[in-house]
Amino acid sequence: MASLSDSAGAGGGGGGGGGRAGAELMVPQFMHKALHAILAVRTPRPHASAPAPPAAAFRRRDRWFHLPLHAPPPPPAAEHLPEPSPAEPLVVDVYLAPSGGGGGAEEVVVERWTVACEPWPSPAAAAAVGEGLAVNRAYKRCITLLRSLYAALRFLPAYRAFRTLCASGQVYNYEMGHRVGSFATPFTRDEEATMRTSRFAPVETQLGRLVVSVQYRRTLADFNFEVTSLAPAAIITDYVGSPAAEPMRAFPPSLTEAAGSPFPQPSRRPNSWASPAPWPHTLGQQPKFSPPPTHYASPTPSPPTFGYLHSRFSGETAPMSIPQGGGGRGPVHHRNMSEPTRAFMFPPPSPKGLRGEAGMQESPTETNRSFKRADGIRMGDLYANLPSGSKIKDSRDESGRFSGVFSSSGSPRLGFSRSSSRLSMQDDTDDADFPFAVDDVYPDSRPGSSGGKDAGDQAGSSSHKSQDAAVGYLVHLLKSARPLRDSAYSPHTSRAESIEAGSTSSFMSRRTCDALEELESFREIKENLLARSRSRLQDSLDKL
Amino acid sequence: MNSYISQWTPISFLASDPTVRRNWSISVCPLCYIAPANGYAKYDYAAGILHTIFFHRTLSLVRPKDVDCKFLEITYVQCGLPELEKEIDEKIEQFIAWVEKHPNRRSQVCLSFFDEKSKNPGWFVNKTERIYWEQWFINLHITSPKRKSNSSKGLTDIGWNALVETSSRCAALESSINEVLFQIINFANEKKDHIPAIPDRIFNHEIMIPRDDSSSDSVFGWNTDVIRRVLNSGHPYSL
Repeated sequence: MASLSDSAGAGGGGGGGGGRAGAELMVPQFMHKALHAILAVRTPRPHASAPAPPAAAFRRRDRWFHLPLHAPPPPPAAEHLPEPSPAEPLVVDVYLAPSGGGGGAEEVVVERWTVACEPWPSPAAAAAVGEGLAVNRAYKRCITLLRSLYAALRFLPAYRAFRTLCASGQVYNYEMGHRVGSFATPFTRDEEATMRTSRFAPVETQLGRLVVSVQYRRTLADFNFEVTSLAPAAIITDYVGSPAAEPMRAFPPSLTEAAGSPFPQPSRRPNSWASPAPWPHTLGQQPKFSPPPTHYASPTPSPPTFGYLHSRFSGETAPMSIPQGGGGRGPVHHRNMSEPTRAFMFPPPSPKGLRGEAGMQESPTETNRSFKRADGIRMGDLYANLPSGSKIKDSRDESGRFSGVFSSSGSPRLGFSRSSSRLSMQDDTDDADFPFAVDDVYPDSRPGSSGGKDAGDQAGSSSHKSQDAAVGYLVHLLKSARPLRDSAYSPHTSRAESIEAGSTSSFMSRRTCDALEELESFREIKENLLARSRSRLQDSLDKL
Repeated sequence: MNSYISQWTPISFLASDPTVRRNWSISVCPLCYIAPANGYAKYDYAAGILHTIFFHRTLSLVRPKDVDCKFLEITYVQCGLPELEKEIDEKIEQFIAWVEKHPNRRSQVCLSFFDEKSKNPGWFVNKTERIYWEQWFINLHITSPKRKSNSSKGLTDIGWNALVETSSRCAALESSINEVLFQIINFANEKKDHIPAIPDRIFNHEIMIPRDDSSSDSVFGWNTDVIRRVLNSGHPYSL
């Protein structure tokens, strides 16, 4: 390019061979540049009005003819167009068509640009005209010609249509398109009548005469541009709804992938109650966050579900089967790793310590799905609303869930929570973040017992027992209880056999009728808690 | 807003052909110009014309920038050179100030490109002369809006009619401005051989606007300066 810049009095300095070589380099570049200049302001796109980059960002190719095309830049598709050949004319048709219409039946060509290098009629003519023609002079003329083309693109009526259609977030009833080729269908007489032709002064080169012309409609008043809709509707395939809609909905796999994920933390489920994360959304759509329901467990580093339980139940005389739940630092099963039998005692741990943060694990597993509740009731809420001294009973679902734990994963370290869909599952492979320490969980004494029955209980040694663990322990005890009429049974023996000595002996000494009574009480408590949670859920939905 | 359709030649182009050594000029259609109450609009049109000329004559590397007129649907291209933009802005502001002092008078803005050459270099005097190789004359006639007598009845009608009339004149002005801009394109492309070698910066130029200290009653009082320069340059001058 620098070699093609003119020098004073160069006249004829291009020579024959050197001039032709320069022309062979210059003409295709001119046609390529002209094509990009046309497409840059005839391809509506939202970012077409972006500011031009600094001069330092100009590429070498941008400096051809001293005219970088950055404001606006040509569309990305223009880079994939084949290089125009000097031997064939370049014809660019710009048309307007109704939006959404298929095919080109209703396309109306509003502009036709033609850039061609007309070869000399004969070698003699070429020699006569091109001889002594300095390529530098031709390059200078091409600069002016390209400037004229660039300016004319903004003076023509189609430019206003282009600007209108570039409005971001709006869809009009017309769309502008283009066709690039070396030939175009001639206009009809009627079309010719509405068109106007403008020809720029040609530039003589060694290869021929470089001609630029444009046929354009004098006015586009016939096209009434109307906004049909705002941003085009798009289906969010990986939409994660609010917990009010589907609390137990499984997380899409895309959210669990860390690579290239636009989410701040792949393991964190973006939801309405979390802090606004850069949720990916379509053009014109904004992520909508619903206010967090007040009665839901908030994703704080200390999930209030179990922390609340800890505050409510710490120091209380819990039912015998429910230990004093603490902050829930880790899943119970973590502790159970060392003693496989504990897996049968303790329910899945709370999510509080799963990640040390909000506990919003996103690890959909089979076990998690097994705990889905169609009614959206969150067990965490049940526990949160648990009155003091009330008995909590495990349901059949819970027992089934426990069995699901065993079936879905042989690892006792699988941690999950049954309280809420937001209390996510812990991945099987994520053993390092096992939230619950083994030492935190201890079975409590018999259910429904008062403080006096805690004589043999070792639950007070830890503040991190979960209600689930206690209920699971109760179930296990009931299952592993010796026959009531076994003559070999003795409280002392039961104590020795119990893993959590003391409480086991108390269970073993109870009669079946007492156990059934306790079961009934647990059922009543459960129904009471469910009713309360339903009412609170309804209140929160009404508030939304 | 009022408009005035002038039979004036809005823009003329004067270029020197070094091979022929003869100047010539080209005239175009009249320019219809609207003078709104807000003088900022005048700035747009005149500035757009000047910028378009510069865009065609600044052959060094430019950073094209699209600029929209404030009151008309016209977009012109600037070179993206801050110094040039500042210079044009200052000249246009001076021109507007002159127009406001001399309402309803024809005016002309002249854009000249020249080369500087040393003339008769001496021991103590190094006189330079300007060789103008191209001049653009932009003729404008800006009129002030006329105040119609107020009437208790029909004020709204007057306002509505004025609005309709203004919108139609705006459309006519847009068309005229576009014609002028296309003429600039044609002029700039028709004659290019006289353009000197591409420099690293903008060609030497000057923008002449009417001045208040003109002693002549003629609206072309500044023309004497132009004629004097042309005579000093040694080129025959003819219109």
